[in-house]
Amino acid sequence: MNSTAILEVRDLVIRYRARGLFAPRSRPAVNGASFTLAERETLGIVGESGSGKTSLLRAILRLIPVESGSVRLEGQDWLALKGDTLRLTRQRIGVVAQNPYLSLSPRLTIAEILSEPLLAQGERGGPAMRKKIAALLSDCGLPADFMERRARELSGGQAQRVAIARALALEPKLMILDEPTSALDVSVQAQILNLLADLKESRGLSMLFVTHNLKVVAHLSDSLLVMRRGDIVEFGATEQVVREPRHDYTRELLSFGLIGARE
Amino acid sequence: MPLLEVRNLSVTIPTPEGDVHAVRAINLEIEKGEIHGVIGESGCGKTMTGMTLLGLAPKGARIVADSLHFDGEDLSKNAERLRGRRIGLISQDPAAALNPVLSIARQMDDVLRAHRNMSRQARRAEASSLLAATGLPDPQRVLKSYPHQLSGGMQQRVVIAQALATGADFLIADEPTTALDVSVGAQVLALLRKLVSDRGLTVLMITHDMDVIAEACDRVTVLYAGLSVEVGPVGEILQQPGHPYTQALLAALPDAAPHGARLAAIEGSIPPPRSGIEGCAFAPRCPKAMPVCARQVPPKRLAEAHRWLCHLPASAP
Ligand SMILES: Nc1ncnc2c1ncn2[C@@H]1O[C@H](COP(=O)(O)OP(=O)(O)OP(=O)(O)O)[C@@H](O)[C@H]1O
Ligand SMILES: Nc1ncnc2c1ncn2[C@@H]1O[C@H](COP(=O)(O)OP(=O)(O)O)[C@@H](O)[C@H]1O
Ligand code: SF4
Ligand SMILES: [Mg+2]
Ligand SMILES: [Mg+2]
Repeated sequence: MNSTAILEVRDLVIRYRARGLFAPRSRPAVNGASFTLAERETLGIVGESGSGKTSLLRAILRLIPVESGSVRLEGQDWLALKGDTLRLTRQRIGVVAQNPYLSLSPRLTIAEILSEPLLAQGERGGPAMRKKIAALLSDCGLPADFMERRARELSGGQAQRVAIARALALEPKLMILDEPTSALDVSVQAQILNLLADLKESRGLSMLFVTHNLKVVAHLSDSLLVMRRGDIVEFGATEQVVREPRHDYTRELLSFGLIGARE
Repeated sequence: MPLLEVRNLSVTIPTPEGDVHAVRAINLEIEKGEIHGVIGESGCGKTMTGMTLLGLAPKGARIVADSLHFDGEDLSKNAERLRGRRIGLISQDPAAALNPVLSIARQMDDVLRAHRNMSRQARRAEASSLLAATGLPDPQRVLKSYPHQLSGGMQQRVVIAQALATGADFLIADEPTTALDVSVGAQVLALLRKLVSDRGLTVLMITHDMDVIAEACDRVTVLYAGLSVEVGPVGEILQQPGHPYTQALLAALPDAAPHGARLAAIEGSIPPPRSGIEGCAFAPRCPKAMPVCARQVPPKRLAEAHRWLCHLPASAP
């Protein structure tokens, strides 16, 4: 990778506390992860359930403590930030979760959902904000009249577009996506993947994209990271990993299903 | 004669806001010993079809069919009796299918006692051998466990063992791997294939995932808006799909495009389930639609061993 790094993770260890005072230490959820995400690139993170993907993302968002290791965000020692600085800096990261319905309050209008992060940042409501929201919706492929709709009236794909628009509201440079298309049909998944590719281009975004589905993320990622039981078993340029997977598990994921469809 | 024959099935559910056409016109022919896939987008009627075959359609639903037969028996009369005896269900969420407060031993025994005439001793041996048949490494330990002590993949194997315990030889698997990891899901599919060849089972595999069809099925029926629009051997359908909808579904997959290229998304959405349909249901989204498509129901087309419904002749690219 030739450009500068937006995110640098070194020897990151995450361990949830074992329950009970005398319980033995649990094994780490993430066991010494090191990787780099270059600016304007997408890193795909793949691994089976419980392999540590979400824990890694949560730690990067500073939602859970880190046992050891370092995280640098745009060169800054990200783990050292505290209080308001942390809160404000965190908004430079946009987050999209798996289930669009769970992540949007069903009774709020789309305008309310999208203005939330802006108001929290101290922006004032009014025509200027509405214009901004309309522009966000249009960037995400939704017409402005969606503003008055409520989240529960949206299809899965539309709800995920709103979730992406909300993540973009504060103009983050880094986007974190945890299984953003797993709950969607293939036809809608293709629309969302195209949208993410467009946004990456037009906004110069860097993305961490977590999924079970190696083939989905291999399609749009520049590099790939494969996790297994807290360990990184594979990290490299996507084309390299797809061409010469080093781990059996990666091979298994790559060979599932359509590739080389049966005669 | 096919093991399962469904001709022109419709399932209509009356609601205060009007009739929901959950299934409009579905045909299924499933031969003994095959894994037959049913694929389509969310809401196209996959689950409702499966539930109807199990006699579990919602109360008040209007079920109409020219034929609805399982092994010569009329399912519109006998579905409830056949469920459990010949026809079993494997659902998406194994945790919900199991009772959280009973041990696996107790749950296996309940099923065996209800369905098979066996001594206690024999039931215990059978439970263990069925769990072993689903590839669970330590059946004795599994028998002593409670559902929450098992992983999702292990739970799904227990559900499959329970279905076998009833003596069912036809399994309806509704998204059986959707809640599982790709690699665990692949193992469950391999298990189903093994059971089909070892025990002569027949499986109806409901899924929205083309990878599951490619991985596990012999033949596949493609559904769109409550209609079966194409059917044939998996290899043929994946390599030379006839129906423009099947073509679009395959083209939308990430594997279909070069790395980083735009994917061929299908714009628009399925017709609302309360609306009527004129002509071809796919016409509003079909890139190849012609004026006739909006007016007339499309005719049957045939190429090699697969059939589909479309106004375009079979030879058109
Ligand atoms: N709050 C928590 N307390 C204790 N252990 C946890 C907690 N959250 C996760 N873990 C454990 O940490 C490990 C990694 O979990 P994580 O949620 O990061 O996995 P994941 O890769 O995101 O899995 P999935 O694909 O199922 O989302 C697992 O062993 C999990 O059981
Ligand atoms: N109990 C019900 N009452 C009313 N409508 C229903 C009911 N169950 C399903 N439907 C509707 O029937 C259609 C087919 O549903 P379903 O068979 O669950 O689809 P699939 O499994 O293919 O996603 C959908 O439009 C769904 O909303
Ligand atoms: S009948 Fe017409 S609209 Fe329907 S799939 Fe064929 S070409 Fe497309
Ligand atoms: Mg997770
Ligand atoms: Mg369903």
